[in-house]
Amino acid sequence: MALVAILLSIVLGQLGFFDAARLMKGLRNMGTLTLEMLPPDASVLPVAGKALWETVQMSFAGTMLGFLVSLPLSILGTRHLFSAPLSNLSRLIAAGIRTVPVLLWAILFVILVGLGPLAGTLGVAAYTVGYLAKIYAELFEGTDPEIVEAVRGTGASRFHLVRFVVFPEGANAILTQLLFMLEYNIRASSILGFVGAGGVGFVMQVYLQTLEYRRLATVLLLILLVVLMMDGFGAWLRKRFLLVPQS
Amino acid sequence: MDSTDLALRAEGICFAYRGEEWVLKDISLSVPKGKATMIMGPSGSGKTTLMKVLAGILDPQRGRVEVLNHEIGKRTRRSLYSLIGYIPQQLGLVRNLTSLENVLMGALGRCGHGKVMLGLFPHHEIEQAQAALDLMGISDKSSEKVFRLSGGQRQRVAIARTLLQRPRVVLADEFVSDLDLDLASEILRLMRQVAEREQMTFIANMHEPQLVREFADQVLLLDHGELVRGLPRHGLQGQPSAEVFQ
Repeated sequence: MALVAILLSIVLGQLGFFDAARLMKGLRNMGTLTLEMLPPDASVLPVAGKALWETVQMSFAGTMLGFLVSLPLSILGTRHLFSAPLSNLSRLIAAGIRTVPVLLWAILFVILVGLGPLAGTLGVAAYTVGYLAKIYAELFEGTDPEIVEAVRGTGASRFHLVRFVVFPEGANAILTQLLFMLEYNIRASSILGFVGAGGVGFVMQVYLQTLEYRRLATVLLLILLVVLMMDGFGAWLRKRFLLVPQS
Repeated sequence: MDSTDLALRAEGICFAYRGEEWVLKDISLSVPKGKATMIMGPSGSGKTTLMKVLAGILDPQRGRVEVLNHEIGKRTRRSLYSLIGYIPQQLGLVRNLTSLENVLMGALGRCGHGKVMLGLFPHHEIEQAQAALDLMGISDKSSEKVFRLSGGQRQRVAIARTLLQRPRVVLADEFVSDLDLDLASEILRLMRQVAEREQMTFIANMHEPQLVREFADQVLLLDHGELVRGLPRHGLQGQPSAEVFQ
């Protein structure tokens, strides 16, 4: 424990965390920036609202497309259902996709399909595939082996097992992870416009570059509102559909 | 006994999960058709492992198992469904599905991948599943999710699933061990009635001596991975006296 504390101190020192003058300057700047953001400029609501709606659309479509692709990929990556070479290949593909950050995916798709929300949606979908395929493969692999054995003994094929054991048993976690991914993608998609991949990011970038911080504050508050609404929607969905006790 | 009178025969079974650490040591046994055979033994004696080997879930390093003269090591686990039904200790029910859906899984070996994958089972299978639940006295729970059922009701669902599967031999691994004695006795009576009605052979691991006395036609004792006569070497705490095993 002491070793970790010493190591942390060294790293923080190297990163500039003990530079008091710099930190004080940062605090003063934060105060100035906050004052320049107030009061938020409501006149940009129509423009920001439209751009944010595009971000929500990109996140929703990208998350669902990624979810649909990740399901078969994760099933193939489940070792007790498929052969080792097949599951390893599937996991390798998911790991490869996951290595690329969402912003880089967006840039790649801007190059491939041009500027706009289509590139952003594809970027979100690709990132979602990499993340969910890994999470779901591990989840499916953790299905109670006793249930798998009992149902396999009735003559069920591996596709039956996926449909009648793996999916129902993992339903809670499948939905939870999907909702988490949707919430995460809404936040992540907000900056995809910085690279021309559509959504509210482009508007934010313009306001940042032209130093229109009051307008930027309006956009940030709108994003906060959408994220809070998503949290509420997620909580309602969990309450409505997650029925199996976790114990 | 003639081999045609045997439901199950095991010869020289040896099994180890790791290296030479034998959990089952040279086990040979015969189970007559249509009888209830119960396997007893202290915890860690290898009962569950033996049950899994007999069910074809685990492949023994040595020896062979035949069910109705079919050597199970030469067949895939899936193809054994018409011969062997297996009820694990925790029953192996899918908690997030209804009782009826769980029972219908007993028919999966006879169903393809078309409509069934959409949850649409053939009408006659649904009727038989309903009848199996009715026989178990829980037809009113058919649309109830399994995680909402009591322990006894879950046991009945597991038996109904096996009933729909229609295997010739049912292997049950301490499947009533979590129930109180009265309920366990009721479930076993039901199981025995079903086995007699369907001419199934019933083999179960059992802890409770009173239940063994009441329901077993044949008792096998397992201790330290070996089949023994009479009581095991170190005694079975609270287990029946030697005459039970005559």
